[in-house]
Amino acid sequence: MADRPETISASGSSPPPIKERGAAPQWLMPVIAWQAVLGVAALLGAVLVAAGTLWDLSGLAKWIVAALLLVIAFAAALGVRDLLAGKHRGRAIGIILNYLVVVVSGFAALQNMGVFRGLDALGDNFFNVAWVLVIVAVGWVLATQAERFGGLESKVRLAGRVVAGVGVAWILLGVGLLPGLLEFVVRLVELDVLVPMLVAVAAGVAFWLLRKDEAGFYFKTSRDQAEALDGFLFASPNVIGFLAFFAGPLLFSLYVSFTSWDGLTELQWVGVDNYARIFGLQFTSIDTGQLAADVLKDGYTELMRVGDFIIGARDRLFWVGLRNIVVFGLFAVPLAVMPALALAALLNQKLPGVKFFRAVYFIPSVAGVVGIALIWKQLYNATVGFINYGIVRLWDLINLLPGADFEPPQPEWLSNSRVALFSVVIVFAWQTIGFNTVLYLAGMQGIDSSLYEAASIDGAGKWQTFRKITIPMLRPTTLFVVATTTILALQLFNEPYILFQPQQQPSGPNNATLTPVVQLYQEGFQRFNQGFASALAWVLFAIIFAITIFYFRRQSEDEVGA
Amino acid sequence: MTTTAKQSRKAKRASKGTQGEVMSTWTKVVIYGVLSVFAAMMLFPFIFMFGTSLKTAADSFSFPPRVLPRDQLTTTFQGEEVPLFVVSIDGEKRDAALVEEGIRSGLFALSDDPEDTIAWPLDLVEATGSTVDYEIEGEVETLEVFRVPVDGEIRELPKIRNTSVGRFIDVEDGVSEAFGVVRTTEKAEEISANWSNYSEVLDIRSFDRSITNTIMVTILVVVGQLFTSIMGGYAFSRLRWPGRDKLFVAYLGSIMIPFVVLIIPLFQIMVQLGWNNTIGSLVWPFFYTAYGTFLMRQFFLSIPTELEEAAVVDGARRWKILWRIFVPLSWPGIATLATFSFLYAWNSFIWPLVSIDVGNEDSSVLTIALSTLGGQGADAPQLIFAGVTLAMLVPMIVFVAAQRYFVENVASSGLK
Repeated sequence: MADRPETISASGSSPPPIKERGAAPQWLMPVIAWQAVLGVAALLGAVLVAAGTLWDLSGLAKWIVAALLLVIAFAAALGVRDLLAGKHRGRAIGIILNYLVVVVSGFAALQNMGVFRGLDALGDNFFNVAWVLVIVAVGWVLATQAERFGGLESKVRLAGRVVAGVGVAWILLGVGLLPGLLEFVVRLVELDVLVPMLVAVAAGVAFWLLRKDEAGFYFKTSRDQAEALDGFLFASPNVIGFLAFFAGPLLFSLYVSFTSWDGLTELQWVGVDNYARIFGLQFTSIDTGQLAADVLKDGYTELMRVGDFIIGARDRLFWVGLRNIVVFGLFAVPLAVMPALALAALLNQKLPGVKFFRAVYFIPSVAGVVGIALIWKQLYNATVGFINYGIVRLWDLINLLPGADFEPPQPEWLSNSRVALFSVVIVFAWQTIGFNTVLYLAGMQGIDSSLYEAASIDGAGKWQTFRKITIPMLRPTTLFVVATTTILALQLFNEPYILFQPQQQPSGPNNATLTPVVQLYQEGFQRFNQGFASALAWVLFAIIFAITIFYFRRQSEDEVGA
Repeated sequence: MTTTAKQSRKAKRASKGTQGEVMSTWTKVVIYGVLSVFAAMMLFPFIFMFGTSLKTAADSFSFPPRVLPRDQLTTTFQGEEVPLFVVSIDGEKRDAALVEEGIRSGLFALSDDPEDTIAWPLDLVEATGSTVDYEIEGEVETLEVFRVPVDGEIRELPKIRNTSVGRFIDVEDGVSEAFGVVRTTEKAEEISANWSNYSEVLDIRSFDRSITNTIMVTILVVVGQLFTSIMGGYAFSRLRWPGRDKLFVAYLGSIMIPFVVLIIPLFQIMVQLGWNNTIGSLVWPFFYTAYGTFLMRQFFLSIPTELEEAAVVDGARRWKILWRIFVPLSWPGIATLATFSFLYAWNSFIWPLVSIDVGNEDSSVLTIALSTLGGQGADAPQLIFAGVTLAMLVPMIVFVAAQRYFVENVASSGLK
């Protein structure tokens, strides 16, 4: 990095006296030549891709790749011109371009070598040395807790570091670092690895030369310009990830949602048909004795009927899923939020032991939803489960009352379609309460205590204080908690999947727990209607987006109001 | 203790209740009571899980359901080890050994209630030759009447149906005997832990491989996310570069986008790269995290600029500044991010479910292994729960060790 010379020139303490610029470094011409080669290669690549000879790409992807290569060729040409003119822009373009070439061709080399897929082989070896992690952990604890040993502190710390270091080295050797490196060298000679690797190395050298302080001098890079370059480079791991695994897939998924695709064969553009299928509704009237199929259009099935009025839908399951998730949210969100508010209020009394309770409430959020759903599945067992047994015992107590003789209800929690969704509500609320409690508690601790003092001087009671001060002051927290819980609830998938598989589909008895994500999973990965599933995903996204916007609106209104 | 210290402590205590007033004992009892009830609700499923993970196969389906694992007692009878039951002999409950099973017997009604019955071997009863009308579930049936010994006296009882019983011998006198349907006879049990469930679950379906795979995936994801987030957080908080703020808004927006929108395209990318159905598909796409970048940015923003400027003037490179100055000052933030990344990687389910094929045990992770186990071992809850306990063990240890970061920073990270 080229900070030192720029710092001097920026602070103006000792500007270079006579020479405007030093002589061009010897390496400059080869770097410019290399960049010219890159530009020509990119141009050639663009032409070949467009012609379809270089790469077997189809449709949109072909043109996107060709366009990208063209942009690179253009940037390279611009860079070459500016480098020759000694302008900073040439250096910046050169650095970014070569960096990208290193990333792309390095990736290609490693990919062709099979490094990324190689984690499974690594897993084989790691299986045998995983236990050494315990040693590393012991060393780490020793090193970080060394101050507890008083006079022995420095020795303990050193010992801890040595133990942890040996453990790490052991693991690295154990997972096959050395044979891996050897394999790496051997595989290098393969052409599809060697070529991209050489390109990456060449670009890496050019990148390094252009980054040198010397280059900063020569191209008169200012301090701000250097900072911008650093900014790009520091952000790059993140931005590349953002583009490759977020923005790119997102746009692709939008495209797929307008196609019909099984994920393997060529996709077919169907326009808005997927969305039309999702939202396709028909409202009409029906006479008694008439069949639904007689009055509904082709491909429509009956969704609901009120008197002689009938609603048909092209995709009945979507509406069923939407209804389920709305019902689920209406029950699950209050159940996950209101007890949390009450618990937080109690914890905020700052009695001894509240930290213990707070930790206990948080455990379900840590434990992992798959395990939790498996536990509840057993608790819900209609014949030997604890919940129905608990109900029997509770009713026994109630029946002790004179004249009471009630039959205890024994719902089939997981196979009765009227109950199944509520079984999921209970699990969801149970798991989310603790997290919300902690959020509320933090919100309460942020309330200015002078408000309470004023209230207490005015003689307000506890309940009054809670209603008139705590709850209004917690409005931002409540908004946040309700919004996040709602968004979480809308994405319900894991709980029904575990609770109902494999005896039933995750959509539960009679589609009682069919949620949008469950439908998406079934369409996309069981029936391989990936186009339609993508459209479902975007509809779900639109709903969540609307809630988010609503949340931000309310929040900013509050801020303006306050 | 000095007076000032005492005073300040008093002041602290006074400000403890939200209103500074002294709480009555009853209020405290009620508060602790409510807190405890909720704590019990939160903990009970876990206690039940751990208890069941130590049960024997037979015990895990016992009714009424129980938390603690129990083992049936056994005894040696005539040189053989036989199970012990509690049966009623001559009107009193005694420990008795089951010495013979599958004896052809009749089920005889003791009263008008069809549930109130006694089972006795057909060889040891004598038909009277007469019949009687008996009502079972609203239907009247004609039943044969037998002479059956009940608690020492012979009674004439109608036979409802045939059944098969076991013969129990009193262990104390070794002579008195009784008959009963084995399945419904109360067992003589003691509380005992059946740890072999754990070794058994580790032996089946490469569950052990799933554990090390999960550990590996989690370590890689946490390290990768920390690296990109620290770098990105620094770039977004402390460096000015074109497009930074617009990109950051895009990042913030991306936090709101549900992962399910990405599942299909991400799966397709994995297929194109040949990464699907490998551990790599669980690791590489998750190196980037908008949330982590956001979190680190917030932490770095709170570090005073002077420190950085002094270092820049000293000619230190930004790489060094980041790792020598910013990172050591941001441990709480890094630890928070690490704990969240850890939980995310350890517990993620829908993506492995999509990416890893069923039956690919080499690339399986714990959530997948548990889900399969839950489906296949539905008749062996003790094994499922041993597996669940193992899967929860590491998050629990991390939770206890890093509780501060989980609980106290949830709010600051979420609400800022």
